Amino acid sequence: MYRTAAKRLLGGGGAFTATRLLRFPKLRSTIIPSSYTSGLCTSSVGGNAESPMGGNQSVNPNQSDHTASSSSSTSTGEGPRRDESRKPRAEFQEEQARVLSASLRHVPRLGWTEEAMMAGSRDVGVSPSIVGSFSRKEAALVEFFMDECLQLLMDKIDSGLDLQNLIPSARIAKLIRIRLEMQVPYMSKWPQALSIQAHPLNVATSFKQRAMLVDEIWHAVGDGASDLDWYVKRTILGGVYSTTEIYMLTDDSLEHRDTWAFLDDRVKDAFDLKKSIQEARYFAQDIGAGVGKSVQGLMNGVMQTMSRRSGGTTF
Amino acid sequence: MALRSVSRRLGSRILNHRSFVASLHSHATSFGFQEVKEEDKSKLVGNVFTNVASSYDIMNDVMSGGLHRLWKERLVGKLSPFAGMKHLDVAGGTGDVAFRIYDAIYSVKRRALQKVDEASLEETQIYVCDINPNMLNVGKQRAAERGLRDNKSLVWVEGNAEALSFDNNSMDGYTIAFGIRNVTHIEKALAEAYRVLKRGGRFLCLELSHVDIPIFKNLYDLYSFQVIPHLGELIAGDKESYQYLVESVRRFPPQEKFASMIADAGFEKVEYENLVGGVVAIHSGIKL
Repeated sequence: MYRTAAKRLLGGGGAFTATRLLRFPKLRSTIIPSSYTSGLCTSSVGGNAESPMGGNQSVNPNQSDHTASSSSSTSTGEGPRRDESRKPRAEFQEEQARVLSASLRHVPRLGWTEEAMMAGSRDVGVSPSIVGSFSRKEAALVEFFMDECLQLLMDKIDSGLDLQNLIPSARIAKLIRIRLEMQVPYMSKWPQALSIQAHPLNVATSFKQRAMLVDEIWHAVGDGASDLDWYVKRTILGGVYSTTEIYMLTDDSLEHRDTWAFLDDRVKDAFDLKKSIQEARYFAQDIGAGVGKSVQGLMNGVMQTMSRRSGGTTF
Repeated sequence: MALRSVSRRLGSRILNHRSFVASLHSHATSFGFQEVKEEDKSKLVGNVFTNVASSYDIMNDVMSGGLHRLWKERLVGKLSPFAGMKHLDVAGGTGDVAFRIYDAIYSVKRRALQKVDEASLEETQIYVCDINPNMLNVGKQRAAERGLRDNKSLVWVEGNAEALSFDNNSMDGYTIAFGIRNVTHIEKALAEAYRVLKRGGRFLCLELSHVDIPIFKNLYDLYSFQVIPHLGELIAGDKESYQYLVESVRRFPPQEKFASMIADAGFEKVEYENLVGGVVAIHSGIKL
């Protein structure tokens, strides 16, 4: 899954079009502009089929849900496409993305709420009723933002960050810093976003988004491991990211200097942890070897004694 | 009551256009299981509702065991009304849905929790449209009982769902609860709904629909045809009207068909949700 696997399959180049964002259907980059890809499909819990743009003749009837879930998935109705439509039929997904994007501007003032989304919809020129049709309303806005940030991060990485000259721990720190800086304008309302993400209904999606983020960062750092280490690495990085994020909530220092210091410390700890685990493993092996030797010696002694006793007969 | 959300994706409908038209034509000329002339249908339906208007609410309670309140709550919940919205409730004679929307917008709790602009609260308009003046009168009476007689937000309008007197692109929301079944030409009503809605406006339809679950279906049919007309006789003194009612439910297009009709009218994101296994369905769509 994720980018690592995708890259391996396609051998590097053209990674962007090959990236399979977990929550979303296959990206058809020819049809959907990249700024919208992050905002797709927030209206359903599971994945769902795309609907074509105005001009296409029919909907693909055979796409199945990506995740089996008992909750609803959206369907899009189209008017008769047989006659050429008078105006291009706006995609619901696009409208939703547009509304959510416009809503972000109102978030620092109104929070991650329906009011912000209604203000956003008014900006776009759409009736605020449309907000009623977003599934898990506030979560839709937060998830849209998370996807946008991930997309931005990916774009930044693709457009070339100077990562080669840094050691891995510095690379990780830099990437996390870039990502967290995207949240700075919304810092006053970020606790609300976190609580929305922690809500039972939304946990699954937010977890997936964070998993993707962490995977992306490791991938950019240059890690290609796919054994058990993969999970450990991502879990640890997830922990570092989350703790830094939470620390940032209460950081008043100039330009969040304290947060970056905290981040560097945590990354260092993580790498030290890795070393300590390695050391612990060797230590255990040594002990095991030592104990094994003494038990073996004991067993040999017992065998010899028994054979002597039984008068030299061997079996 | 198990609320099961079921949405269907509208794939390419390889509908036989002719049979499609034929079935709609049959809706226009069917009065329950009887065949009637198209011109006569609205008059016959009008008579039904004139007869039942006074006992409409209590019959609803008895027939559905009080469940209709929950269904309407769900409808309004789905709508997510907001302050300042212009809403049209069609065939909403006695005002059930309209009152719920009013309460949702003006509830003190909601205003406390969310920052509601008081000025926009003033702009809220809920139009209740019904073809039958008797039903509207019952509604106005109930409004008076709630102290909303002179309230500017609630407007009672007599009108036909197939030819609404409202401007294009003027409504944020359109609901029709247990009414579209009685309309002679469903597509006209849907087209009118599309016309009056603003861009981004939502269409919501609550209607009795088709049950597919094997044993439950038989029980439901038994209940509909054996029990309800007699209840009508007992309580409203009108067996024929309720016979018409249960028959008209069977003649109404099933969920998928109706959803495709809504899509044909131009709505996007058409979905439906079955309640009580399909006894009731809420169809929704957005005008974009």
